Amino acid sequence: MKAIRKNSQVSGKGEIGVWFSSLGLSLGLLMIVALLGVIAYNGLSVFWPKRVVQVEFDPQSAPDLGSRSAVAGIITSQKVKSQESPEEWRLFVGNKDQYGISYSYFDRDSLLKVTQPEDLLVLERTAYGKAIGYPEHISGPSGELVSAEHPEFAERLGSLVRECQDRGKEIRKLETREIGAIHEALENLRLQQLRLERQSELSSKDREALEKIEKERARYESLFTTLATQARSLRDLQTSHKLQYRLASGEEIDLPIGEIHRFFYPNQIGFWGRAAVFCNHIKEFLLSEPREANTEGGVFPAIFGTFVMTLFMCVIVTPFGVLAAIYLCEYAKDGVFVRVVRIAINNLAGVPSIVFGVFGLGFFVYLVGGTLDELFFSLRLPTPTFGTGGILWASLTLALMTVPVVIVAAEEALTSVSPGLRESSMACGASKWQTIQRIVLPASAPGVLTGMILAMARGAGEVAPLMLLGVVKIAPSLPLDNQFPFLHLDRKFMHLGFHIYDLGFQSPDSEAALPMVFATTLLLIVLVVVLNLAAILIRNRLRRKYQIAGF
Amino acid sequence: MKNQSQSHHRTLERFQVSRRIGWFDRFMNHFIVVGGLMVIAAVMGIFVFIFLQVAPLFHGAEVKLLSRHKLTDTVDSVVAVDLDEWGELPVLIQKDGSLRYRDLKGDRGIIENGQVFQAGETLSSIHYNSLNRLLVAGSNSGRFAYAKVGYRPEYDSLSVRTVHPDVTRSDWFDLSGKGERILFVDYGEGDSNKLAVGICLDSEGNRHVRAVSLEQDLSLFGEGGKISLGARFDLTEAIDQAIQQIDVAPDGGLVLIVAENGEVFVFFNQGGKLELGQRFEPFGDLPDRRVGGADFLLGDTSAVFTGWEGENRVYSLSLDRDKGKRLYARTKEFEPMPELPEGYFPGVRNNSFLLVGNHHASLRFSTTESIRWQRNFEFEIIRGLIGEKYDRLGFLDRTGTFHLFHLRDPHPQAGLRAFLGKVRYEGQAEPDYVWQSTGGTDDFEPKLSLVPLIIGSLKGTLYAMLFAAPIALLGALYTSQFLHPKWRDHVKPTMEIMASLPSVVLGFMAALWLAPLLDTRVPSLLLVLLGVPCATLACNWCWGQLPHRVRTSIPAGLEFLLLSPIILITCILCWKAGPLAEEILFVVTNPETGERVADFRLWWPEFTGATYTQRNSLVVGFMMGFAVIPVIFSIAEDSLSNVPKSLRSGSLALGASRWQTAVNIVLPTASPGIISALLIGISRALGETMIVVMATGNTPLKDFNIFSGMRALSANIVVEFPQAPFQGTLYRTLFLGALTLFIMTFIINTMAEVLRQHLRNRYKAVR
Repeated sequence: MKAIRKNSQVSGKGEIGVWFSSLGLSLGLLMIVALLGVIAYNGLSVFWPKRVVQVEFDPQSAPDLGSRSAVAGIITSQKVKSQESPEEWRLFVGNKDQYGISYSYFDRDSLLKVTQPEDLLVLERTAYGKAIGYPEHISGPSGELVSAEHPEFAERLGSLVRECQDRGKEIRKLETREIGAIHEALENLRLQQLRLERQSELSSKDREALEKIEKERARYESLFTTLATQARSLRDLQTSHKLQYRLASGEEIDLPIGEIHRFFYPNQIGFWGRAAVFCNHIKEFLLSEPREANTEGGVFPAIFGTFVMTLFMCVIVTPFGVLAAIYLCEYAKDGVFVRVVRIAINNLAGVPSIVFGVFGLGFFVYLVGGTLDELFFSLRLPTPTFGTGGILWASLTLALMTVPVVIVAAEEALTSVSPGLRESSMACGASKWQTIQRIVLPASAPGVLTGMILAMARGAGEVAPLMLLGVVKIAPSLPLDNQFPFLHLDRKFMHLGFHIYDLGFQSPDSEAALPMVFATTLLLIVLVVVLNLAAILIRNRLRRKYQIAGF
Repeated sequence: MKNQSQSHHRTLERFQVSRRIGWFDRFMNHFIVVGGLMVIAAVMGIFVFIFLQVAPLFHGAEVKLLSRHKLTDTVDSVVAVDLDEWGELPVLIQKDGSLRYRDLKGDRGIIENGQVFQAGETLSSIHYNSLNRLLVAGSNSGRFAYAKVGYRPEYDSLSVRTVHPDVTRSDWFDLSGKGERILFVDYGEGDSNKLAVGICLDSEGNRHVRAVSLEQDLSLFGEGGKISLGARFDLTEAIDQAIQQIDVAPDGGLVLIVAENGEVFVFFNQGGKLELGQRFEPFGDLPDRRVGGADFLLGDTSAVFTGWEGENRVYSLSLDRDKGKRLYARTKEFEPMPELPEGYFPGVRNNSFLLVGNHHASLRFSTTESIRWQRNFEFEIIRGLIGEKYDRLGFLDRTGTFHLFHLRDPHPQAGLRAFLGKVRYEGQAEPDYVWQSTGGTDDFEPKLSLVPLIIGSLKGTLYAMLFAAPIALLGALYTSQFLHPKWRDHVKPTMEIMASLPSVVLGFMAALWLAPLLDTRVPSLLLVLLGVPCATLACNWCWGQLPHRVRTSIPAGLEFLLLSPIILITCILCWKAGPLAEEILFVVTNPETGERVADFRLWWPEFTGATYTQRNSLVVGFMMGFAVIPVIFSIAEDSLSNVPKSLRSGSLALGASRWQTAVNIVLPTASPGIISALLIGISRALGETMIVVMATGNTPLKDFNIFSGMRALSANIVVEFPQAPFQGTLYRTLFLGALTLFIMTFIINTMAEVLRQHLRNRYKAVR
């Protein structure tokens, strides 16, 4: 018996075919693991502070750097191009204000000396990216100096940086929130004035109103001047203390402390110090605004934009999708019509997203938006309000795109509720709607939720239609904020997926942007994978539940 | 009794639905039906909307009568009619050089502008060029002058427009140099050339063809330079036929001289010389070779000829490879007019032209070789015109009445022929499929062939499927038939997650990570493709050599675990060995230095003649594989594992091995499902946008070379839509592209769905 089993298992005819078919699975799995691995590695290594080396070389071997003969930088790659040529190092040299480049290439052979000096300092600045150099001293407004050799130098620098950052927050609050609110108010006044002036005859009441508008405007303008002076004096304070540092190539530079974002000694800190910087970087990436044409700083507006858009889409798509599914499942009589509709809906889920994008632009933006503008926002024309891409149209279009997904998932969930449950509910005297409301919908809720999550995952990862529908590189304001009416449906927004495309392909210095793209990619993938995993888990639980609940 | 009735009452109450609930129930029932139908209608509405956006592309021109005005009683003296840009002030140009305007909008009535040319010359010929609005006159004393018949709008304080005539006249220039009488003269001026050609009659009755170029002093401030006579040419000798007509190109770059026997002489005005460049017969292949008329189209490179029987052909300049110069060649052939057309009137905005003959008028568009509109009028047309904005048509009839029509033809460049057929655009040697929607110059023709884009989409799909289909199908077969059930629960979700990877991520990885990585390592990749199957074979053979004891220690269905590390190692080894293979196989000898370079990027173009670019179809195919593999995998796996157990068990019980069962029983049963999976994969690849946008060069190519890029339909929309003006031709054409994608995917998806339903029924029958 045992021998026969063995035989049938291992030496049957066509074992080679089995092996070959396992190749398909192996390759598929390897590919996905490799891709995710590459993204995870590259995405996370962006945040990890690496050691900085100082290299000395013959000035002729690195013409990018002029006549300099030494430079400090982070080794980003070491590769052998072909067998004859020596190993090539790519160094991130930073100091873009001085060198004009972010990366420099060296042949290993041309490097005379490679060291890792302990006292090298990495400064993350608000402009020109990172600076790498040796600190010299801090100079105060009245000329007092704290030398880098001073034992409390690092602490002093740290407290100054913190102080400046707090002040920076205050300035931003003044400039964006308060001055922004004034601008908003002035624009409203202008529109009111325009509306009055467009009337052919002005009544005395209108004239009064106009005068009032003038007064208001004067008030706002004086408020604006006071706020602006306040902001200016705060800004002056930001530059009162200066840090002088010396580059490895010899230049000495004075940097106002207010321009320092963060600093650390990469060759002094140990593993835990690195981990702390790593966490700090991640925190900044997730929670702060982008700087330097998106190549530095964080992606908070993009996360927020993606979130608001997806959520909004979800709010629109779920009721409609479920409504259609209830109709198809509970009300429609099975026939040719329903069968055709079902096939069509299934197919629509497979129609390319760009087709929906084109539809959204033509229908929502130009037709509906243009009409809305003419009816309600004619004063602002020719500047379009709704007649241009915005978060409302993007969400609506994506909702339309994902509605087939939700219908299919919801219908599946509804049909899998056992007919016994329905019949018993009816037998107990419940009406049809009561049955649906109290019995069928709760029982199918996880299935509907799965559909919703799948739709969200698709919506969050989709870029092509959004590119036609108001996604932008940098949005000046978030779609949801503390200004009336809080949710600004006409605003353009940022999106993680588009951020990747824009940074990777439209950025002036794409090499410098690459780390940021990897980080954003990792974030987007994590987001989408988590959503999908949630959907899968819910579905699996659901299946188990139905297996038990079947009559 | 009372008790009984009470209990009866109670029962009724118990069963009676509360009014509120009843109402609500009825309301919800209606609400759901109406709402559900509306959602479905809205979703279907997408198709309708897109279709409505596309439909105007295929409409012809609409022509509506606006007004009729009596302009003159003496039509015999009329040279031409013309109209201002706004269609408000038509002008009648008369033989004596006088202009008569008629105000259609205001109350100025008829405005006589008197004679344009005076200054003591007697006019002996007059000719009007409507393309550049030049009126050219020759005199008895052998001199010629020209006048620009322009318009000047004036706006008052309320922005109301009044159009005024604005005529500027040149000096008289001596054409013949010998005081001969001019019988005919034409003149054209461009940025570099100013050329007048005419026929002069000397005192002995001999005709001479004379030409003269004008030169303008360069001036620092705009155009103000003084114009003086330049070189003189005598073309009489070069033309050995009786002359019928002379046409100077509007830019003065060449002149066409039509002989009475149907021959056309082309003289090119280049480098200060006027030389006979070409002789041809436009209707040489017909019994009646004579040319009825010839004139230029907008853009100076094409000329429209009409034959004696009403035939209509367009000849364009294009580079003749053999002779190495630009020559006229036939590019378009239109349907003939009912009889010899008497009048030809070109449009100044696009390549349209109007032919009139007797009562018949026909508006034609050269680029697409289409007749936009034609009609037989009750009146006899003697002159016609196309409005400057391509929005008016005007006709002057025999009685001197001017008929003004409104022309609505927003998309003359469109049409099935332009989208799907080979079109010969100006400057091309032969007809071709070209997509080039925008260009640098004003007289640029948008080239709107969808064929290169469709080819691009198919190319991407082909390479993606070549890569993805085997992996996905093998994987699905293994997972459903041989894989250990414990693993199956993990494999499927993993594949589903792979399906959810956003395409922008894949596109980014393809363009900025994979493309630079593969750029120098194509030989490595080829080795990997070769090495992996070999390693699998070797692995299987080695496994077979192991003793039974070892083999049974690992349960069946875990082969892939054993194989994965081996494949990984093979991949790494092959990758490292790539440069070695390159040095052996892909060596190019530099013809200049004789140096031998081992570089696949040079070897491929030399060996195949095709190009090599970094962002190529190989990269796209590979990355699109990530998007397509999970789609095919999960559908194929579903249909394979849903094959009824009884079939498998029966086969195994009869002694077939697991592979025999899989291939001979399971695969054929599930084949509709597999085809359906492949179809869905194709439809996904066709519609894929971001990967294609990012990982190809987006050049509309028409080849299937694996190492070159492409431009797919979907990518084209993303790239061009932001620049397309609302409801313009490009806008609608992009909608057409979207509609094409929609229809293609919809058909494929429907086929797949029908196949799957078929499969479901088949399984039901087996059960």
